[in-house]
Formats: sequence, structure tokens, C-alpha cells
Amino acid sequence: MAHIKVVRRSMRPEEWTDLRFGWLKRHIYSSKWEIENLEIRDARQVAEMQFDYYSEDYRPLKKGDMYFTPDGTAFIKAEVNIPKELQGKELWFSLKTAAEICVKVNGKYVGGVDPNRERMLLSPYINDSETLHFDMMGYNRSKPDDERNPESLSVRGCRQVFEGAYICTVNHQVQDLVYDFELLLDIAKSELFNEDYRAFLNKELNNAMNLIDFDSDELQGVSEAKKYVDEVIYANDNYKGSGDVALIAHSHLDVAYYWRRIHAVQKNLRTVLIQLRLMDKYPDFKYTHTQPYVYETLEKYYPEVFEELKEKVAKGQFEPVGAMYVEPDCNVPSAESLIRQCLYGQNTYKRMFGKRVNNAWLPDVFGNSWILPQILKKSGVDYFVSNKMSTWNDTNRFPHNNFIWKGIDGSEVYACVPPTHFITWNMPSQIQENWEAYIDKDSGGQTLNMFGYGDGGSGCTEEMIELMHRFKKLSVMPKCEHVSGREFLEKNLKGNTELETWDGELYLEMHRGTFTTKSNLKKLNRSLEFKFRTAEMLSLMRGEDNREKITELYKKFLINQFHDILPGSHIHPVYVDAMKDYEEIEKGLEKIINEGGRYFNTLNFKRDALTFIEDENGSNERYGKKGYFAVPNLPSLSGGEIKKADFDGEWITLGDTIETPFYKVKFNPDGSIASLYDRELCREWADGDFNKLKIYTDNPGNYDAWDILPNYKDKQIEVRTEKALELISKDSECATFRTVLKTEKSTWTMLIRLFRQSRGIEVENIVNWNEKHKLAKAEFSCNVLTRKALCDTSAGFIERETHRNTTWQQARFECCHHKWCDMSETDGGVAIINDGKYGAGFHNNVISLSLLRATIRPDVVSDMGMHNFCYMIVPHSGDVVSAKINNLAFQYNVPLVKADVKWNMPTFEPLYLQSAKKSEDGTMTVIRLSEQDGRRGKITLDRKVKLLNMLEDVTGETDVIEYKPFEIITIGW
Amino acid sequence: MDIKTYVETVLQPKLQGDGGWIEFVSFENDELTVIFRGECSKCLILHRCEAWIEEQIQKDLGLKVKLCGIRKKPYFQDT
Repeated sequence: MAHIKVVRRSMRPEEWTDLRFGWLKRHIYSSKWEIENLEIRDARQVAEMQFDYYSEDYRPLKKGDMYFTPDGTAFIKAEVNIPKELQGKELWFSLKTAAEICVKVNGKYVGGVDPNRERMLLSPYINDSETLHFDMMGYNRSKPDDERNPESLSVRGCRQVFEGAYICTVNHQVQDLVYDFELLLDIAKSELFNEDYRAFLNKELNNAMNLIDFDSDELQGVSEAKKYVDEVIYANDNYKGSGDVALIAHSHLDVAYYWRRIHAVQKNLRTVLIQLRLMDKYPDFKYTHTQPYVYETLEKYYPEVFEELKEKVAKGQFEPVGAMYVEPDCNVPSAESLIRQCLYGQNTYKRMFGKRVNNAWLPDVFGNSWILPQILKKSGVDYFVSNKMSTWNDTNRFPHNNFIWKGIDGSEVYACVPPTHFITWNMPSQIQENWEAYIDKDSGGQTLNMFGYGDGGSGCTEEMIELMHRFKKLSVMPKCEHVSGREFLEKNLKGNTELETWDGELYLEMHRGTFTTKSNLKKLNRSLEFKFRTAEMLSLMRGEDNREKITELYKKFLINQFHDILPGSHIHPVYVDAMKDYEEIEKGLEKIINEGGRYFNTLNFKRDALTFIEDENGSNERYGKKGYFAVPNLPSLSGGEIKKADFDGEWITLGDTIETPFYKVKFNPDGSIASLYDRELCREWADGDFNKLKIYTDNPGNYDAWDILPNYKDKQIEVRTEKALELISKDSECATFRTVLKTEKSTWTMLIRLFRQSRGIEVENIVNWNEKHKLAKAEFSCNVLTRKALCDTSAGFIERETHRNTTWQQARFECCHHKWCDMSETDGGVAIINDGKYGAGFHNNVISLSLLRATIRPDVVSDMGMHNFCYMIVPHSGDVVSAKINNLAFQYNVPLVKADVKWNMPTFEPLYLQSAKKSEDGTMTVIRLSEQDGRRGKITLDRKVKLLNMLEDVTGETDVIEYKPFEIITIGW
Repeated sequence: MDIKTYVETVLQPKLQGDGGWIEFVSFENDELTVIFRGECSKCLILHRCEAWIEEQIQKDLGLKVKLCGIRKKPYFQDT
């Protein structure tokens, strides 16, 4: 007998309740009066507050018309006289739309509608007996704020059908009951709650619905149903929930992502406006909002809304959080960039609201560098909040939610990695899920649950607040408290001696491709970081006050470190904007740096590494420019002339084996090194593929720009040698070899330079890259036995294990590093120094430096086209510190400048002079020093100096600078 | 302006601004063939955009065209 699966086809009782719930929602509006004289003008935003219009004038907009265009902004207006029968009533404006619309009535911003809310309250803000001038500005987008919200997903698309705009009144009795059902149905459908209670709910919600007569013309029985819900459902406290959850209202706002930065101005306006109106209606509602930059745009373009915001800040309802200027990527930016994020962020808040904040609020960033705790602590930040490690890790469960995070130098901050997503809509099931996922139940106090729509802003809704007000009626739910960010952090973390400590980076086991995607952005970010340093130092030495210009340029630079810009996870126009910004920043900095007559060493140690000197008569070419190689021999912070070495002898022997003063090298035709024998150290450095270009298929799925998966090595594509390695130039310092490699679609020219006076072997890559879903790596199989690789963090080094013993090492198959990485034995090793690469893998004795990716989402042509970048292979004796690899990496990344200046302060060696600038208030010189070798010691000065924090507040005075490993010290001179 | 340039310089930036992508393929016998990538490739209401593109071409170039759009979905969304 065939088995027949029994499938229930008849309607279940719960479906009957759902069906009637849908009918009930149709009665929310007690009256709707259509605005029929709307007019629309289509446009496209081309810059902040600048629009290209499709027509000279407005056209009528009727129900059923198409409206909005790709990347379009629409201006919609109407003059409305409220009908007599509606005057005096509580009036709402309703417009169901996929767009993001801000609404002005008679010149005042009244509210907003978007896919997450279709109506806004009018009454308190209008005089309903006078003519109302409606002015709306709407931005439509093909991508909703949050793709998990099926309602907003269903209306996505560039061209929308206008469904009409209305003046409405709301039947609050029905609306209240709808909220009750929304809440209770969510529990009834969630397996996270007690099964018996859910059965009880299903039974009693059906009973409540039975009291409503849906067949009558006027809906009958709503008050009876509401009474039933109160007296039977809410009154039942037989089922006890557990937990203690802090509910924090927040909206995540990507400054750029699937939209350009210019659109964030209005996204922010709409978000803020909606939250202000919710605060008007619900005096207990508090909301947290990050990113001083977006506050600045509001202040600049919408001062009247900004004034309202300030009032709500003063009342404690609107809470600025997050000390950083934007929510930056926290892997790729250098220590000084992260310090500036805090400095300019905190200064902006101080100027606007008279106070700084004590937290860093970075819910969406893709992992956090170990250098952060120190930077935060010294920037007035005691608390750190970042969500991703808990919910996005693909291998290991991060073991803490509320904990202490110990940084590379030993600094500690209180940290919160909330157990669940930062975008929720305050449903009981989401809150219960948060509590159940919360690890630190016994030690961490409350768990943090953020609610509010986001990504492109939007924020909280009336429904979320109404639901929140009902939570206390439900014994089955965790205890919930609606608090501000500061309240949560200070109540649960401050002084909590039970908290566990995490000592290390907050590595995100996902999004490992963001160290590499959009290679050009990373390279420019690196070079501009050092250009800012040069510009500030030269301004100082010349006695020029360029603070205003530098701050302006720095802010533009910091915006582009936003966590969907610098990491490369954005649409193509965002990349175009960023490159344009970088060009402007570079021009601005070069104008400040200017040109002098003699070379100046801005580094505070002797410039003794072979360096490329641009010279149109030079016999070498690097980065397309003529020049020559020379050892500058410029002392610390000093100027002078650079002379070519007076050497005309032979220093290199060519043949199957090439001999230089340092090496005997056997190259393969593709530029990889078969043997690298060190003549000084009498050892071989290569053990297999060494400097071997490998291109892998790279198919990480939907998170294309973000992820590299561990299976990337499964399939390698053929890289054939088009032109075998050959010598193309040779002079007294450098011999350059060239090989041309090809794939089916790309050409990869590799220039390999051997030097007379340097142990470094430089590889310049000129690539015409036309791949799809590929990852290019340079791999170095080193004749080194070690279980750790050292990586530069920009402010000290971090050790990464090279074995795969546990899932923690397995998950870290691709890591972020800065200027160098290294594998060494105690008496020697191999360092790879780069000028703009950040991704690298370390496995056993192999370093694999990630060079280029070719992703197609969000940007269809990400990384396509020409690339030019260098790295240098540096075999060395001793360990990284004794080999001075860090100093070498600085020399490799900091170009020589020509400037006729004089340094009048000590050199502060052996610390690294990270920054020398005029203080923000112009009263002193600020010197920032960084210990990068893992040592402690002291520097005795000839005078007393002020000790500063990173916000340039005076914290003490000293004439002896005592430093410890990886410490960053700021002094006022 | 020829129709290829129009697609590449006028329409493309607009679609790109929404995460979409359009590429000119051919224009023969009043039929304009284009490739849609990115968000366009999976858009449920792309036909509305296609009609709008035809309108824009008529308005700006005075050409009445029939648009033939080829969707190239990325592999991870091609289910």
C-alpha cells in the first residue's frame, strides 16, 4: 500500500484569527479624505541639496499614476483646505509609499512617511481652518532599509504606483486592539515562548475575535474584544518569563552604501524628524543617534529641525551617542585616523550640545582592531558597543556580550557586543531571542536590545513604542526597561567586577574580503594618512596656521572611512564619489605641503633605507615616474641633500643564478623565486612557491564584496607566462626584471627589483584586471619554522597563530594587517612590506598577501581596470624588532618631501612621532608619540611639557616621558 | 547624441544610483537591446523602468524604440 502523507487543507483556528486580524486592520482609519490636487516634479539629486529636474514645472499627480524614477527625488506639493467635517478632529496625513518622504506643512517640517510607516500626525502642528501648503520631498530607492522586513521588500523598485494621499482620522479603539493583536500573535507564533502559553493565546485570541461582528456596517464588538484581551489574556500571569532586557531605540544610518553620501542628508533628516515627532507624542520615548557628521548636515541644511533636536537633547529624550565622527571601518584606518575620528567627533558634539559622549557606538563595523581600547580610553570613551561578532561570526560563538575589552597596550574599556541584530522592530520574539542568546546572564546585568529600522535610517515607529508600553502586562516576557545608551552602559557595566575580560582584537569571523575589495581606496587611504601627517608637521614648522583647512580635509577623509565606503561594500557611484574626494583631499594637502629646495626627513629616525628619488633624468622607472635609488642618509627630522652613491663597479652577476651582495637568486620564468639563498646569513629563504602569483575563484555568495570564504583555495585558475622574466634595466643600485603574466582576461606585469644596498626585493605590479569572482594573492612559502606571524596594526604589532589547531585559528584564515607582516624564527625571518594592502593569510610557513578581488555586488565593476601597487620582500636576521622592519616600513610608505624647514623640538626617539600639529584651540603644539616595538622606557626632556589625552585636554605635566609597550602618548609643547 | 552614448551617459548613472546597471548591446530596427545587472536584474517591477526608458528615449532623442532587456542575475541570486 502506498504511503499517503496526510496534509491538512482545511483552515486552522490560528489562520482564522489571522484572517480576521487582517479585516480588523482595514478599520484603523475612521475616515479618509483624498487630497486630489497634488502636483509632482521629478528630479535627480546630483550633489548635496542640488537637483537636476526632469521638467520645468510640476504636473498633476493622481492615484494610479507612476511616480519616481531611477535614483530619483520627487517634489510633491498641494494646497489643502480641510473639509469642515474634519476640522477640530485629530488629523493624520497618510501616504502608503516605497519612498522616503519628508513632509513640510506651511513651512514647518511636520513628519515623514516611508515603507515602514504610512501615516503621520498633523493636528498638533497645523491650524486646520487655514489653507495648508504641503511640500514633500521624497527619495525613492530600489533597495529597502532592511531586506528582512517583507513588507518593505515587497514594494521595492524605482518606478512606483501612486496610491493616493489622504487626510485621515484614526479609530483609536481599533488601533489599540490591532497593537494588542500584533503583540500577542507574535508570541503565539514564536517557538521561543512556552508552548502551553501559546496554546492559551491561540484559544483566547480566537475568543476575542469572536466578539467582533465583522459583518455589520459599523464594526461592532471592538471594545468587548479589547476588554476580553485585558481581562483574560493580560490578566493571566500563570506563565512566568525570565530575563532583564534593556531596550534602546536606535536607527542605523549608513552614510553611503546602496546610496550616495548626498542622499544621507535627507535620510538623516527623515529619521531625526520622525523620532522628534514620536518624542512629542510619547514623552517617555528616548532615542540614540550616532555620527556627529550627520548632525552637522542637519545643522547646515535643516537648522530649524536641528534646533528642535537640540531641545530634545536638553530634555534627555534625544541622545547623541558614538564619539567617532562617522561609524568608520575599524580594521583599515590607522591609529591616527581613529584618533581623529574621536577628536573631531567629540569636538563636534561639544560644540553642538556642550558635552562629549562616553561611548563608541559602532553596531555594524566589521571587526575591531586591538588598538582601539587605548584610543577610546584616551578620547574620553569608557564604553564600546559593537554588534557583529555575536551574530555574524561564522565559526565560533563569541564568548561574551557584556565584558571588559583589553587593548594591545593593556588599556581597558567596558564593552558590549549585544547578542542580536542592531535592527529589530521590538517584537516580543526578538526580545526573547536576545535574552536567550545572552551569555553573561549571571554577570553582565541587563542585555542590550536595540530596536528601530535602519541601514538607511528610518528608526522607530509608533507601533514599536505602543508594543513596548504593553510588555509589562505580559508575565511571559522578560522584564524590559526602555533606557538611553548611557543609562544602560553605566548601570550594567560601570564598576561591575563580575565582568570577564577579552584580551585581543575583536576579529569578525566574516567579511574578510573587506581588507582587500576596492584596492584603490585602500591604497589612497594609506598614502593620504601619511600626507596628512606631513602637511600638519610642515605647517607647524613653517609657523602656518592651516587648522581650518586641515580640519575640513580631514573630515572629508574621515567620512570616506565609513564602514561601507573604505571596506568597498557599496554601489559604483559611491566609489566614484570617494575617488573624487580623495583627489580633492590630495590636492588640498599638496598645496599645504608645497615644495622646498632641499629634502627633509619627516620621520624621527635616520632615513637610511634605499629610497626611490623622483628625477626625470633617472635611469629607473617606478609607478610610471623616472628616478633613481639612493640611500638618503638624512638624520631624524632633518633636511639635506641626497647624493647618488659613487659606485661604478659590478654588483650583480646574471645567469641562471643571479648573485647580488645579499643573495643568490634563482627565478622561475613567472617571477616566482625557486631559491633565495642569503649570502650574509648563509641560509635559504624559499621553501616552495615564493613570490608566486596565484589567482583563485572567489565565490562567497550574497555577501560578495564583503566575504572571502575558506574554500577559496579549492579552485585556482591558470596564470600563464606571456613573457618570461628578463632583465630590463640595471644601474649602480638596482636591477629590474620584468615578466608578463596572463589569464584569459587580465594582464599582470611584474617588475622585480634587486638592489645593491638593500636586502629588500621589491615587486611592482601593473595589472589590467578584468576578472569576475577572483582573488589574486602573492604567496610566499618561507623556509621558516614558526607558529606565529607578526602583523603591524599601525600602533604596535599583533601575533597571529599560523597553525589550525582549533576553530579559532581556522576561522582566522584571512586577517587584517597594516604596513608589514612577518614570519620569523629567533634568528631570522621574512617580512613582507606593502604600500596599501591589508588582507593576508598565514598558514604554517606560508604568507599569502591578498592583492586584488573582482566582486560584482554591490558594485558590478568593482576593482576592474588598471592597478599599480608595490610590495617588498625583506628577509632579515633576528626578529622583527631587531631587524627594524617597522622603521623600514615607514620609510617605504612615507615619501620624502622637499621642504626648507627646521625642527626645533627633540626627536623623541625611540618612539615613533605619529603626529605633530597645532592644537585644535591653537594654544600649543601637540606631539603624538607611539611605542611600536613592545618595549618600555623613558625619555628625559629639557623642559616640562603638558601631558594630554587624545582630545587635547591637559591631564598633567612632566619632563620625563615614561612609556610602556604599545603606548600612545600625547604631549603639549 | 547616439543611442549607445545616451544609454551609457544618461541612463546608466541613474540606474547605478539605485544599485542597478544597464549596458548597451545593440540597436537594430527600432529594437534596443540592453543588459540589466545588479539590482535591476532581480527587480520584480523592471517592466515599469523599461517603459520609462522608452519614454525617456522618445523625449530626449525623438526615437520610438522597443526595449529588449536581458537580465543577468549574479549566480548567488539566480535561483
